Amino acid sequence: MAGALDYAAAIPALPLAGFLVALLVGHYAPRVLPRDGAIPGILATAGSLALSVWVFFTVSGGETLNEELYTWVAGEGTFSLHFGLLIDPLSAMMAVLVSLIALLVHVFSLGYMNDENEPGRPRYYAGLGLFTASMLAFALADNLLMSFVFFELVGFCSWWLIGHWYTRPGPASAAKKAFLVTRFGDYFLLLGLVGILGTFGTATFTELPELVTAGLDGGATTYFGLSAQNWFAVLGLLILGGVIGKSAQFPLHTWLPDAMEGPTPVSALIHAATMVAAGVYLVARMYGFYAQLPTVLAIIALVGGFTALFAATMALVKREIKQVLAYSTISQYGYMMLGLGAGGYVAGVFHLLTHAVFKALLFLGAGIVIVAMHHDEDMWNMGGLKDKLPVTYWAFLAGSLALAGIAPFAGFWSKDAVLHEALVYGLGGNTAVLVAAVFGLVAVFFTGFYTIRMVLLTFHGEPRSSEAESAHGVGWNMKLPVAVLGVGAAVVGFVNPGLIHELTGASVTFLDSWLQGPIETTAAHHYHELVAANAAYTATEVSSVLTAGVSLALALAGVLLAWLLYRGPEPAEHTEKLGSVKTLLYNNYYQDEFQDWLATGVALPVSKGASKFDQGIVDGVVDGVSSVTLFSGAQTRRLQTGQVSNYVMLLALGLVVILAVVGFLGGWF
Amino acid sequence: MIPTEYFLLLSAGIFCIGLFGVLTRRNALVFLMSVELMLNAANLNFIAFSHMHGNLVGQTFSLFAMALAAAEVAVGIGIVLALYRNFKGVDVTIPTSMRW
Repeated sequence: MAGALDYAAAIPALPLAGFLVALLVGHYAPRVLPRDGAIPGILATAGSLALSVWVFFTVSGGETLNEELYTWVAGEGTFSLHFGLLIDPLSAMMAVLVSLIALLVHVFSLGYMNDENEPGRPRYYAGLGLFTASMLAFALADNLLMSFVFFELVGFCSWWLIGHWYTRPGPASAAKKAFLVTRFGDYFLLLGLVGILGTFGTATFTELPELVTAGLDGGATTYFGLSAQNWFAVLGLLILGGVIGKSAQFPLHTWLPDAMEGPTPVSALIHAATMVAAGVYLVARMYGFYAQLPTVLAIIALVGGFTALFAATMALVKREIKQVLAYSTISQYGYMMLGLGAGGYVAGVFHLLTHAVFKALLFLGAGIVIVAMHHDEDMWNMGGLKDKLPVTYWAFLAGSLALAGIAPFAGFWSKDAVLHEALVYGLGGNTAVLVAAVFGLVAVFFTGFYTIRMVLLTFHGEPRSSEAESAHGVGWNMKLPVAVLGVGAAVVGFVNPGLIHELTGASVTFLDSWLQGPIETTAAHHYHELVAANAAYTATEVSSVLTAGVSLALALAGVLLAWLLYRGPEPAEHTEKLGSVKTLLYNNYYQDEFQDWLATGVALPVSKGASKFDQGIVDGVVDGVSSVTLFSGAQTRRLQTGQVSNYVMLLALGLVVILAVVGFLGGWF
Repeated sequence: MIPTEYFLLLSAGIFCIGLFGVLTRRNALVFLMSVELMLNAANLNFIAFSHMHGNLVGQTFSLFAMALAAAEVAVGIGIVLALYRNFKGVDVTIPTSMRW
């Protein structure tokens, strides 16, 4: 009997079929397309979800799959390029996560797009379908090349869906920005991919770790005269470039807040739960590679810790609900990078899982609020929505407490795990990780503050505008996904409550055991050994209770401060008290201005100079050579008279001359 | 038997007449005739040497050359006709535009 793993290829193929149906039927026969493509999309993602769950249970039985499906380029005596599937605990978990959120977002879109009569719905559902297919294929990829291909495809879908309302200038330019900024990072990923193929002769995830270990012992192919250690670090950093672009880490994070111009379900699916997770997932997927490169790990941790703090400060003063969520997304992905960089593979993946659930929830909740508010996103025009949207309120509150890291909601467990790992290795003697951990701890306070500020401004107090007073309820198709995710945000943390494990000794760390995995080279304990052996990370005993207590206290302090400042029926704006800091934060540290300056102030003059050099000197030499030829040609052609008799005479004379010469030399005379 | 030198002298004379015609005449038809004279001088050489050596290769070759000359005349007459149509005359010194 055929098992689930035989059908694994159908997981990404089903949404692809949904994409084709929505695109082709939507174009040629839009009237027969049920709900403008929503129904095919829902059926396809539901099918993917069912298959993923089946695969999930098969994998939990100890079966895995690692096979090549299609050889793209067969190399003779060199490497081959192929597409294949790697189904192990990590990818099975990711497939379930992606297809679940994709399904919920499809259902939610029924309310957000169809009921609101937004234009271009078949195009929208086609984009969602293609995105889901690419993301699932990315999650199940068995080699870096295939990952790269689908990495690019999800970026393309992101462009497609952000720019859904392409007739308005905001979304159109936001879509371009998102595409260009992530593409900039992906360029480094491409270089890294080529480097990895050249160095190891394969890009298969399961083979890389051993090749790196062997290479570090000597005999590795390296380039530019670097030692194996340094060259592998360069490769790791190049791939990290793509990760930083896609996961919106500093300094390539500027596209994500702008991406909020897209429809809110798209923000939930792509820019919170899945596509942005692709970067972090890639690091987790290649963790056997990264675990042996201490420099790169430290950089990952530092970038992550810094981004977590940096983005959290910007979220403090934002007025639009989606902007707050966007910056908190950047910040939370910083935590995942921190966890992975600090050697906490399980912690990073755990935060990826919980964050996907509660951030998708928050975005969908924000979508309901925006619909109820007739597309006004300014939180200062909201207030008092608690009574009008009770289901949304409670679910949103669960998601917010999860984001703020309040026990026992999901975010508490995972963020605590990340910080605990960071402190264990940071205090163990790794300064970079320790600095990153301190960044992370400070960011916990800010996270608590901005989250509760958002909840209070949106749902509490008195309505501050006519839209908020006349806010209307929404249909089941929007409430249901939010309710499902709300329950998820409350309970998903219990898949790996490390604190309970330490306190009671009960074996409740399910995710930890799950990720131990049947494939040795992708198992968590194997990574753990690699980090200890090759990256020379040393652990110290840090009590989980202590770190959990500190992070919970910081989060509660933030919550309390927000409560004190923004409670009551008519909360006042306190941002003015920050003075010039507020301006700085409100303008996002002038990051966009800086990048604009980089483009117009640096790149443009340099390009102009290069253009002058090209047109003046390079072209000048070429033109000079050709003008000499032209001039001499123009002079020489005057020999031609065009008269036949002249030519004949020249011929005859030439013959005579040849005869004379031959005669003299031959001694005829 | 007539010595071969006589034939060669005759051939050289005919060739020179043809060359003189080509160099001095302006009428395209006379031009063509002069070219024919030069060609036939060469043919005469072929035959004279063929006779001297007693083998028929040269004579065969001159038959081919005659067939070629017939084709050449056909082309030449065509050119003369085109010349007449375009320049209202057959003076070869007038059309000088086919250069640069």
